[in-house]
Amino acid sequence: MRVWWQRLRDELAQAWAVAVKDVRVYYLRPGMIMFGFLMPFFLFFSFSVRREMAAAQGIARLLSLTTFFTAASAGPFIIPLERRLRTYDRLLVAPMSLLSLLLGKTAVGAFFAAGVSAFALVIGITAFGATVAQPGFLAAGVLLGSFAFSSLGLVFGSIPTRNPGDVQMPSTLLRWGLLFVSGVFIPLQEMAPAARAVAYLSPLTYAQDLMNHALPGKGLLNPWLDTGVLLLAGILFLIPSMFLHRRARRLGY
Amino acid sequence: MNAPQRSTDAAIRVEGLTKYYGDFLAVDHISFEVQQGEVFGFLGPNGAGKTTTQRMLTGLLLPSEGRVLIFGHDLVHNPYPAKRRMGLVPEESNVYAELTAWENLLFTARLYRVPRRERAKRAQELLTAFDLWERRRVKVADFSKGMRRRLCIAMAIIHRPSLLFLDEPTPGLDVQSARLIRELIRELNSQGTTVFLTTHQIEEANQLCDRVAIIHRGKIAAIDTPERLKAAFRRVQSVEVALEPDGQAHGRALSSLPGVTTAVKMGDKWRLYTEDPSALLPRVVRYAEGNGLRVVSLSTLGPSLEDVFLAITGQEVGAPRQGPQEGQQRRTGRGR
Repeated sequence: MRVWWQRLRDELAQAWAVAVKDVRVYYLRPGMIMFGFLMPFFLFFSFSVRREMAAAQGIARLLSLTTFFTAASAGPFIIPLERRLRTYDRLLVAPMSLLSLLLGKTAVGAFFAAGVSAFALVIGITAFGATVAQPGFLAAGVLLGSFAFSSLGLVFGSIPTRNPGDVQMPSTLLRWGLLFVSGVFIPLQEMAPAARAVAYLSPLTYAQDLMNHALPGKGLLNPWLDTGVLLLAGILFLIPSMFLHRRARRLGY
Repeated sequence: MNAPQRSTDAAIRVEGLTKYYGDFLAVDHISFEVQQGEVFGFLGPNGAGKTTTQRMLTGLLLPSEGRVLIFGHDLVHNPYPAKRRMGLVPEESNVYAELTAWENLLFTARLYRVPRRERAKRAQELLTAFDLWERRRVKVADFSKGMRRRLCIAMAIIHRPSLLFLDEPTPGLDVQSARLIRELIRELNSQGTTVFLTTHQIEEANQLCDRVAIIHRGKIAAIDTPERLKAAFRRVQSVEVALEPDGQAHGRALSSLPGVTTAVKMGDKWRLYTEDPSALLPRVVRYAEGNGLRVVSLSTLGPSLEDVFLAITGQEVGAPRQGPQEGQQRRTGRGR
């Protein structure tokens, strides 16, 4: 029992060490700033300016975009780059489980998304007078959304390649696809039944709905369902990442 | 030379290790053991399977068949205890350029769960030993190749591994850095660390290794101590002679002396390969006298480890060695 407890402590400490190292090494890289910080704001302003929208509703949309785009940008950028520089080998030979390594990498995107979302929230509250109806759901939405979408980004980062460009294209394609079917720009209530059925397959739908509960206080689904789906999605997305890492070890990446 | 220590568990035990990349057989059912306390050299031409083998031995690459035991622990099924006891210095110095030397070392110490109170002490010791202490707060992006290499080695040993893998540790380094690294390998080994050294530098392997294995086309072609390998290749003994004046012009004539198998120009000298140097010596002297030449130097040489390597890998003695590009081309041709 004691051995297992010690091992668990070691694994968590190692995951934390990986996350902190990545924060210091990668957060100020142009790729992270472009895809993780600027992109969600560009998207928000492109689709929201000059539209009739309450401040809380607008900020709920912006927070969905920041958790989604920012969190999902880290994995596809960092892991292929580390593979190219061979620094990823350093992590793979270390005495830590693959799950701990992936959790550390997931935390990198999640922290980044939480930070950018906090920045967006402060701007929304101070500059636009947005109000928070449900602070608990806001925290859950940002944290679980960041975790789920960082875990999604990790799936693409785990593709066996040493070229970030090979991963950016499919990951961007998927992110844009999800963005337009998930009730971010068209509310779920206004969607046709078929479109709404598709929207329910996207975890971003639940993040947006949770943000709608949190800020304007007008979500469509049960907020606990949103919370559960985001948590489950974050866990489930780790599975293909582990499978792809094993494949990369077979191929020699 | 340190005699290998016998122990119940070998530091490395390799059993039938095989790697296919698609249809390409990169490593072909190799088996060998490295005893605790040995410095073991792993030699081979480019593309022979050295790096593939080393990546399987460190858990970076999954074997297609066979298994690797590190201190008795199966590296695939029980990697944690095996990995805790090993350190890796890869061919490329994979340090974090955005971090300082100090930060790189502390990160590695955290990754290997070096006790908190020990981390700074060990980092300071290593930076001092590797002559990097003054540059500890400088980002590694500004380091020279030699400094990065030294830091990379320091990172590999901060957790005091029992087994250290070094992949081509010295090529391209200045003389001081290369010597520092060789001295370090000897020192680590004298403290009980087992060293697995993958190298092209045959003289380096000759000086450092208790035993060497030569891999050729994915198979172990020879494995023994350097001296025993040399003894097995007496046919590549040689006589080295420098003649004046114009000694360079006599290669053809020297190569046709009875008993000479090959003549190779070595700077201002000729190396004449023969199975019987004592019979060849007087012939060389007579040839010089008969042609009015002065013998500047004349010596007999036993086979070098390089001669053994070339003989085993089927490359003619004196023929140009394969360039580094060849291995690269073969690697990319595996159809990943």
